[in-house]
Amino acid sequence: MSSTALASHSALFYDTDDQFAETVGTYLGDGVARGERVLAVVPLGKLDRLRDELGPDAKSIDFVDARDGYRPQWNVFRAVLDSLASAPGQRLRVVAEQDLAARTPAEVIDYQRLEAAVNVVFRDHPLTLLCPYDATRLPRELFDISRRTHDSVIDATGQRPNEHFADPSALILGLATVTSPPAGALSLRCDEALDLSSARRFVRDHATRAHLDRDAVDDLVLAVSEILTNALTHGQPPRRLYLYDGGATWVCHVHDSGAGPGDLYAGFAPPALPSDHGYGLWLARQLCDAVDMGADVTGTHVRLHTRHQR
Amino acid sequence: MTPSPELATANLADLEPGSHLCAFYDTDQQLARIASTFVAWGLAAGDQMLYVAGDGDAATTMLTSLLDHLPGSHALASGQLMVRTFEDTYGGTHDGYLVRIEAGFRAAAEESRKSGYPALRVAAEMGDVATFLGSSDEVLRWERRATAMQRDLGVSSVCQYDLRHIEKGHAASLAAEHTALAPDGDESPMATFLAVGDPWGLRVAGEVDIANRAGLIRAIRSRAAVSPRVHLDLHGLTFADVGTLSGLHALAAALPHDGHLVLRRPPDLLRRILDITGLRHQRLVVEA
Repeated sequence: MSSTALASHSALFYDTDDQFAETVGTYLGDGVARGERVLAVVPLGKLDRLRDELGPDAKSIDFVDARDGYRPQWNVFRAVLDSLASAPGQRLRVVAEQDLAARTPAEVIDYQRLEAAVNVVFRDHPLTLLCPYDATRLPRELFDISRRTHDSVIDATGQRPNEHFADPSALILGLATVTSPPAGALSLRCDEALDLSSARRFVRDHATRAHLDRDAVDDLVLAVSEILTNALTHGQPPRRLYLYDGGATWVCHVHDSGAGPGDLYAGFAPPALPSDHGYGLWLARQLCDAVDMGADVTGTHVRLHTRHQR
Repeated sequence: MTPSPELATANLADLEPGSHLCAFYDTDQQLARIASTFVAWGLAAGDQMLYVAGDGDAATTMLTSLLDHLPGSHALASGQLMVRTFEDTYGGTHDGYLVRIEAGFRAAAEESRKSGYPALRVAAEMGDVATFLGSSDEVLRWERRATAMQRDLGVSSVCQYDLRHIEKGHAASLAAEHTALAPDGDESPMATFLAVGDPWGLRVAGEVDIANRAGLIRAIRSRAAVSPRVHLDLHGLTFADVGTLSGLHALAAALPHDGHLVLRRPPDLLRRILDITGLRHQRLVVEA
């Protein structure tokens, strides 16, 4: 019952909880009936209603609370990749939705990248993915991006191709941002391998002072160290680390004077085979609440965002 | 005091194997500083350290000082640190001394490798060497020969000269026969890779990243060359980056089928990197 067909990535725009439960329930139950592996990452508040709808089929489905599955957001990629890897060749059906209203602006932008990247990272995997959106509370920019990143749309009448689907590379390129660190940001020069240890101390001290959650600080220290290692290995001097408060998030901003990785999809997925390089950005996306990157004549800028409250 | 201002100070964090360093002191405190710094960096890199003291009293004094400064007691117990007198090391007779010293050096380097150390480092007090070798010129001849031999064997050393005992003007000539000066400070290594005999392996403490991970891999390889079942005690590891883990993964994957690399007491951070990268291997055993 496995399928060799490539990935599909559909959107559902629903108006009521009943509509959500009925359409998603049918979609998931369909996967169970076909003998597919089925994973549902949904907000906790919707779980009970969905289970009721599914009846006995619910037992064959892995349910994940969206707060865990999307913390940080790119963890959902890891969950799907791990699930695909654990049963090679078998089709995996996934419903994934999170409460977007709880996201900071940097995370909302990163979520748009994530939706576009799905179409590239999972292109050759046997994955059937549905993203339900609550149409009554969806901000304009998310409605736009969701219309352009799903190859089909599902509604009460069934599934139809989405005529607004756009080239994911162009979307990701358009979302790349180059922002200069604000005047007065704390900063540290980092051009030698031996500077990394002091950079980690610098981040830990200031992140702690900014009252970030302790686990978040450990993750951030590791992520910054990896991005600085990339800058040392692939970038150009001068290289500098900036720390500042970016409003809803606390920002570690790594700048080097090189042209950046060139690969638009760097770090959206880990290397397919064990490798001695290529994990830095993937690790940062798995550890930080949002990561953005851009390059222009001023060099390469990578910003790691940590929410003040998790 | 720098008798040879043109001679650069060596960077012990990145010491080329086979470096022939020198140091000049005029107080015992200064000698203790130079010696313990050199020994600390050598032990940290996982190398075997031989300290050659002028005589029995000097050996006792230095031993006390090294034990004060370093993870010295562990290193003495494991055999990674040896403290001997000049006479014990090079023998009492003067006949054929150069051949004898050179043969001793070669044997010690080979023994180090067989015992699972990446290399041997020697710190020697040169106080009596002129008497031993007969003249200052003989000392220069020896030093010249040592530079080539040590490069060949990959043995690094520091020759520690007591300015109170060498002829005026001779210090500059001695310095000129060395590749660099040993530092006289106690900046400490960011990580230590100490040899452990049972279970066979290393005790790793401190931070490992792009600056020093090659040294860790080198130390593990030397242990694995003796026995392919290597244990790393990571209790004191405060940081490791993904490059360190991918290095361990590659090393474990290259071990023979009956070998393994066991990570004992890994910090949470390492488990986190393992989960995120999926860098697992049947011969890379992560203990609970």
